[in-house]
Amino acid sequence: MSAKQDTATQTITLQSNDNAMIPVERCVAERSMLIKNMIEDLGDEMITNEPIPIPNVNEPVLKKVIEWCQKHKNDAPQTAEEENDNRKKTTDPIDEWDQKFMQVDQEMLFEIILAANYLDIKALLDVGCKTVANMIKGKSPEEIRKTFNITNDFTPEEEEQIRRENEWAEDR
Amino acid sequence: MAPAAMAPMPSQPVRDDIENTWHYLQTGITKIMLNLQDGLDLKSYMGIYTAVHNFCTSQKAVGFTAVTNINTGTHRGGLSSISSHPPASSLTFHGRLTSNAPHNLAHLLGEDLYTKLTTYLTQHLEQLVAESRNHTDEALLAFYIREWQRYTDAAKYIHHLFRYLNRHWVKREMDEGKKNVYDVYTLHLVRWREVLFSKVDGKVMEAVLKLVEKQRNGETIEHNQIKQVVDSFVSLGMDEGDSSKTTLDVYRYHFERPYLIATEAFYKKESKQFVAENSVVEYMKKAEARLLEEEERVKVYLHPDIALPLRKACHKVLIADHSNVLRDEFQVLLENDREEDMARMYGLLSRIPDGLEPLRAKFETHVRNAGLAAVTKVAADVEKLEPKVYVDALLEIHTRYQGLVKRAFKDEPEFTRSLDNACREFVNRNEVCKAGTNKSPELLAKYADILLRKSSTGVEEAELETTLTQIMTVFKYIEDKDVFQKFYARMLARRLVHSTSSSDDAETSMISKLKEACGFEYTNKLQRMFQDMQISKDLNSGYKAHVKSLDSDSKGIDSSYSILGTGFWPLTAPNTTFNPPQEIALDCEKFSRFYRAKHDGRKLTWLWQLSKGEVKTNYTKGSNKMGYTLQVSCWQMAILLLFNKEDKQNYEVIQEETKLNQDILDQSLQILLKARVLNIHPATEKPGPGTRFDLNYDFKHKKLRINLNVGTKSESKQEEVETNKTIEEDRKLLLQSAIVRIMKARKHMKHSVLVSETINQIRGRFMPKIGDIKKCIEILLDKEYLERLDDDELGYLA
Repeated sequence: MSAKQDTATQTITLQSNDNAMIPVERCVAERSMLIKNMIEDLGDEMITNEPIPIPNVNEPVLKKVIEWCQKHKNDAPQTAEEENDNRKKTTDPIDEWDQKFMQVDQEMLFEIILAANYLDIKALLDVGCKTVANMIKGKSPEEIRKTFNITNDFTPEEEEQIRRENEWAEDR
Repeated sequence: MAPAAMAPMPSQPVRDDIENTWHYLQTGITKIMLNLQDGLDLKSYMGIYTAVHNFCTSQKAVGFTAVTNINTGTHRGGLSSISSHPPASSLTFHGRLTSNAPHNLAHLLGEDLYTKLTTYLTQHLEQLVAESRNHTDEALLAFYIREWQRYTDAAKYIHHLFRYLNRHWVKREMDEGKKNVYDVYTLHLVRWREVLFSKVDGKVMEAVLKLVEKQRNGETIEHNQIKQVVDSFVSLGMDEGDSSKTTLDVYRYHFERPYLIATEAFYKKESKQFVAENSVVEYMKKAEARLLEEEERVKVYLHPDIALPLRKACHKVLIADHSNVLRDEFQVLLENDREEDMARMYGLLSRIPDGLEPLRAKFETHVRNAGLAAVTKVAADVEKLEPKVYVDALLEIHTRYQGLVKRAFKDEPEFTRSLDNACREFVNRNEVCKAGTNKSPELLAKYADILLRKSSTGVEEAELETTLTQIMTVFKYIEDKDVFQKFYARMLARRLVHSTSSSDDAETSMISKLKEACGFEYTNKLQRMFQDMQISKDLNSGYKAHVKSLDSDSKGIDSSYSILGTGFWPLTAPNTTFNPPQEIALDCEKFSRFYRAKHDGRKLTWLWQLSKGEVKTNYTKGSNKMGYTLQVSCWQMAILLLFNKEDKQNYEVIQEETKLNQDILDQSLQILLKARVLNIHPATEKPGPGTRFDLNYDFKHKKLRINLNVGTKSESKQEEVETNKTIEEDRKLLLQSAIVRIMKARKHMKHSVLVSETINQIRGRFMPKIGDIKKCIEILLDKEYLERLDDDELGYLA
């Protein structure tokens, strides 16, 4: 058992695309399925000797992601069953710590979501997407455009057509 | 983006260019496929993963330039790449709030990669097929295993590296129900099966079977190879609909089937030859060893799934195909007591369906014949046959074959049944039974009597118990249990009345054994007899106290009485008149009064023939001044007491005084004459009218107590005849009561059904003859217990 403990707390180094070296506990890094699979494939030795390049993520985002992983390092790994029971997951409220964690500017929020997707951290991806969903909930199209800084490029005719098609869904 | 990859890897590709991306990926995959043993560096690993990710998330598909800064510019398709599955509930963030676009969009991202990978695998495998042609037999096996190992190792890597493709494009395709789209690992297996396996499986199997045959012929082989081939075949049984499940179809068809065919062929040939050249016993050893070997083979290097069909195949060729030869040998083994070989044969034939039935039939016949022969051997003279010898002969056969059933046939219930059938046959229908159908139960009861009677050759308590248990073993097979009951009751009565029982415990034990075997009703009378003796004991001590209180200086005789319930004891009143001597008559009178005072209205009948007493001689001359004590029957006592008045008595006077009939008088006198207590005149005559009897003053005997109360042969013979006669009568009553019981319950019944039902009920006691049952029904019709109805039906009249 102790041997396993050792590998879990062993420190490995992640290298962001702006060449920052970030030391992190192995079990924290393994919240990412990408890193977990990679260690499994390449072996323990390789990662102790070299930093792991993360070509798609920059330092601030990577640090933020690691912060989340640190907090959630003891969560039970997701089972296949839970994965199928996705609907329940998507409607669960976001826990308090995660809510606070996600209180960042929009750019960072989307960067975290992209990084979670790239690094294959399912739970973090869910939290990110839920946060965005909450930002959309209850808003009119105009408000949504405003929130996300989107220019309305529909012609009035197009807009009318879409409204008609989706009339059934309107909240009256 | 990322720094350039190391030596053989080309620089990181342009994210949305398929040719460019694929060129980069192919280099990496080839490295993994062919040179994994050299390892893969971190940068290449991350590079490949990232290339797949970037390609799948590129914007090219919808014709917009990639936008990473989401806060600027228009935002069509901005976050389409982060769709989180399942698609229906995913957060596809799309500038146009429409619902029809994302579908096509997702479809496009990744298909190119998937197709390229498929093509690459196909080419790689075709290459391997070509190489495989250079190998045969064990070299081919080695080649197959090596390549399989390399391929699946690589597949695992590539599966991980293409995880992004799996998670998004593949998953969506599969969710939409697309056929022939698999996750990347499964894709590898499917390609292997389609391209390589379909071409080489026959040759691989051939090599496997050759190797197995080598081993069966005694060579040592590298069986790990076979194990790996099995594992490979099993792995190829992926369920195409669900990658998490596997089926054994591929393995069963391509491995199991040819393996079973080869096995059957091998053993068919081998066993045929072996049987022709060796004895059956040798063959059985061989077959046993072969079966064990095959089981072992499954454990060592085959898939457990084959165990059952393989066993079946082996059983067929090794046992079923030779079952007739084996069974023919069984008789020989039986006759020579080859227990071990019979056990072996049992072990083999028990594995095939219906394999043992013919053995059981042979066994049954053999045991029956052995039993009959054993009886014939001891039954040279039925009249003089000792019960012990007879019962021991029966037991000896039973014990021997029960032992055989236990040791060779694992106490199998069906064999036990055959043994029981055989025993029932030879116990009830043997040479001895020809002399009299009731002979078996009679002799058994007699043996029990001998054991339970006091005798000089007393048996130990423990030994007695075992022997009684053995008697019960034979008893179980006796069909006419009522006959045994009759004889047993008669002899128990005698033991009790004459107090010749060796131990009350043994008697009780035997009765409870019978009760256990046949029920309360069967032993009811026996138990009552026992109770009567107990009650009589108390009664006698009461009577003695009573006599003492009447007159203290009693010169009366010392007497004791047994009160035996008429219905329970198999005893009848004496068949002669008798005038008891005064001394006895007075005491009897006194006792009768005493008894009647206690139990008013009961009728006492004196069973003189069972009474006995002791008389003392005071007249003898010679050295002995003490006198002799003679143990005599009541009748002898009556005769002897006459000589108190007169030393010489005429036959006629004796007859007049005692009122005994001639038969009994003559018998009694005969014994007294033989013992020389009396002398007859004229000396040459037999007792009869005109003879005279003198008291012999010169009587001498080496013992002081002399038993003159001895039965004669003819007496016991007569008793036997009588017992047999009562059996027939009792059976009629038993049948009638059974019929009435059945009819009372059913009210009406077909004649034939009633007959069979009666047989069922009565079988525990004896085997009734149908003719007897019909007669009994007639009697009951006459007595109007039953009536005839239409259609062969009988009705019950209350």
